[in-house]
Amino acid sequence: SDLVSLSAGARIQAIRSLPMPFNERKTIRLTSFVIIHLCNISNNVNFYLNLNFLASARQHLIIWQDTLKEIGGRFGTSVLSYFLFLKWLLQFNLFSLIINFCFITMPQIVHAPNISSITGFRGLELLTGVGYFNQTVLFYGGYNGEVIVSKPAYNMQLAYFFTIAAYLVLCGVSLIYSMSRSFQKNFVLETGPVSGEAWRLLCSWDFSVVNEKAIQYNKNNLAIQLKESLSERLQEKNKMSLSDRIKHLSLHLLAWLLSLGLALGSGAGIYFLGTDPELVKASTLLLPVVVSLINLIVPLLYSLISTIESYSNPRAKIYISIIRSVILKMSILGILCFYWLNFVPDNISCWESFVGQSVYRLLIIDFIFCLLGIFFGEFLRNVIGTMCIQSLGVPEFDIARNVLDLIYAQTLAWIGIYFSPLLPVMQVLKLFIIFYLKKISLSMNCQPPKHTGRAAQIQTVFIALLFFPSFVGVLSMVAFTVWSLKPSDQCGPFQGLDTPFHTIFNWTDSIQDFPESNWVWWIFENILRSELFYYLISLISFNLSDSILPSVCQEGKDKAFLLNKLQNLQKERREMASYRPQVRVSRVLSGLTYFLFASSYR
Amino acid sequence: MGNKQTIFTDEQLDAYQDCTFFTRKEILRLHGRYHELAPHLVPMDYTNDPDVKVPLALIVNMPELKENPFRNRIVESFSEDGQGNLSFNDFVDMFSVLSETAPRELKAIYAFKIYDFNVDNYICKEDLEKTLNRLTKEELTPEEVNLVCEKAIEEADLDGDSKLSFADFENMISRAPDFLR
Repeated sequence: SDLVSLSAGARIQAIRSLPMPFNERKTIRLTSFVIIHLCNISNNVNFYLNLNFLASARQHLIIWQDTLKEIGGRFGTSVLSYFLFLKWLLQFNLFSLIINFCFITMPQIVHAPNISSITGFRGLELLTGVGYFNQTVLFYGGYNGEVIVSKPAYNMQLAYFFTIAAYLVLCGVSLIYSMSRSFQKNFVLETGPVSGEAWRLLCSWDFSVVNEKAIQYNKNNLAIQLKESLSERLQEKNKMSLSDRIKHLSLHLLAWLLSLGLALGSGAGIYFLGTDPELVKASTLLLPVVVSLINLIVPLLYSLISTIESYSNPRAKIYISIIRSVILKMSILGILCFYWLNFVPDNISCWESFVGQSVYRLLIIDFIFCLLGIFFGEFLRNVIGTMCIQSLGVPEFDIARNVLDLIYAQTLAWIGIYFSPLLPVMQVLKLFIIFYLKKISLSMNCQPPKHTGRAAQIQTVFIALLFFPSFVGVLSMVAFTVWSLKPSDQCGPFQGLDTPFHTIFNWTDSIQDFPESNWVWWIFENILRSELFYYLISLISFNLSDSILPSVCQEGKDKAFLLNKLQNLQKERREMASYRPQVRVSRVLSGLTYFLFASSYR
Repeated sequence: MGNKQTIFTDEQLDAYQDCTFFTRKEILRLHGRYHELAPHLVPMDYTNDPDVKVPLALIVNMPELKENPFRNRIVESFSEDGQGNLSFNDFVDMFSVLSETAPRELKAIYAFKIYDFNVDNYICKEDLEKTLNRLTKEELTPEEVNLVCEKAIEEADLDGDSKLSFADFENMISRAPDFLR
């Protein structure tokens, strides 16, 4: 009867989730229909049909479904999460490509072609992005900010500005939404025996694997992990002496100093390389190659450094190596952006195209290095591991490193969108090719990682990394460019303005002439331009996050506290039972009430 | 919707679509797979709801289940008679719960049934031992198996009866978001 009060969609979901055999669910469904009909609630049959049609239509749009199933079946859920992440990034880039092409590039090509000098096309331009591509619509310089005279006048400046702004806002919203959903689903407090036997036995088995060899491999891993965990419990937990603890701490400190030193050194090296005029003239490809080499070699050095440290928790090791790699990549990108935004505008004409070309080169060389990495890192390593040095064994698929590479490439792509609207083409092609190559390399060369626990939490961390240093950094860089940098005078849609943002001022001034659109001007002047508005928004958002996040944490902590208390009570009871036969009823009862209280939280 | 199929009536397909997590096309494909398991037993025409059950031995040979350590228990939990003989409705039920779109709470209920080997609505120590043996085969010694199961019950048992009721199981699952993908 409570099914009747739900909406149609919710009712179907509720019926599907009933834990009864099919025939009983069918009966309940028919009964609910009868009750609805009798109560004369509006007939939702058409709605049902539409829902089902949508569901089957959605199926046709999902690409790679079979491939992903196959990968999950052979390698398990954690390796699958890398490919799902790749697919998710592909969607961002595809969307960006479509809107940039439709709103910016097409009008430019059709109405106002702007090729002032045509140089011959040599193949090297694919790598460097200069020359033939210089004045094409690939880069910022290929667009002029005319107002295209057609039936409704199309203002190219506004189109450029709004398309990019809208895309970035949508990206941000989508990232925040995914992050909060993932956090909600996967947030688990670390208290309690989450690495204990019960969890390992009942929750850690990956049912999506169907390949025989893979299942045998997982069984072996489970046995090894159980044995390790048992032997840990059987030996006394050695209390570390003070000198041991100091030694461990100093080793950690040393490792961190070395890592940060390497990151700073790389940043400084790239800065000097970029600003040295002779080297810049010598080869435009030198800088991207050096950046990619650093991205390749320094993480390997980091893993060497981490062998001197000892970790109590293997997951702490993974998280720390992720943090160090992120610091390295973000510092490299930070130095590059600093150089691009502080020195290039004053020294180079048409500087936005220059920045676009630099980003293009970085992306292409990164792609080439990725291909080389697959060949050397996985194929050759497999050959060496199986034929020459047997003790090395088959390489494991390193999920963290691969995902961080994806995040780095996506950050570059996002930086480049303002300076080169068609850059997403490159990124889309690149992601497509990498998907298939990684899949082939995976099946031929790699084995799944041994410690697969907690894949869901690492996923949340990756999405958070994509949002926080990566997207927020790009947003601040583009915002800085739009708000305070003077666009170049000879090229681009914003030539002649003080800052690109002045487009908006000009537009609002022009629509002041039309009395019907006064409201737009009013909104702009009094809300968007007032600092009070932003202050209010930040107050609201901080308050929300202040109240929601702690309450979720508090709920989890309360639950964990109550469960722990219950478990301790049980332990005491068992020990007491060996002295006194009768049970302390009152304590158990109080424990049970706590427990009942706890389950009512949900 | 193009070709008119004659396996099910439209009402039957609507009922399947509303009561399971599958679309019409998937249900027809499932019927094809069900038919392949026992072509002489399973009729192509289901419009009059024939009472046909495919035995356990044929179902556990499906490629999706063949290597699963719990294939027998899975099929038994969904069969009406508890012996593993599935009618088409049970078959669809089984794959519906195992599919990706089924909610975690539903999967938890059936997972509990799967791990409950002696079907007494509790996961006792023997059930855990059988689970462990399915998952690791010969790698652990009997003492280790015993120790692991004891520790597991100690950790998860909250009402103190030395076996896991569904509430204990559910509580433990709530701390493990990777459960049963």
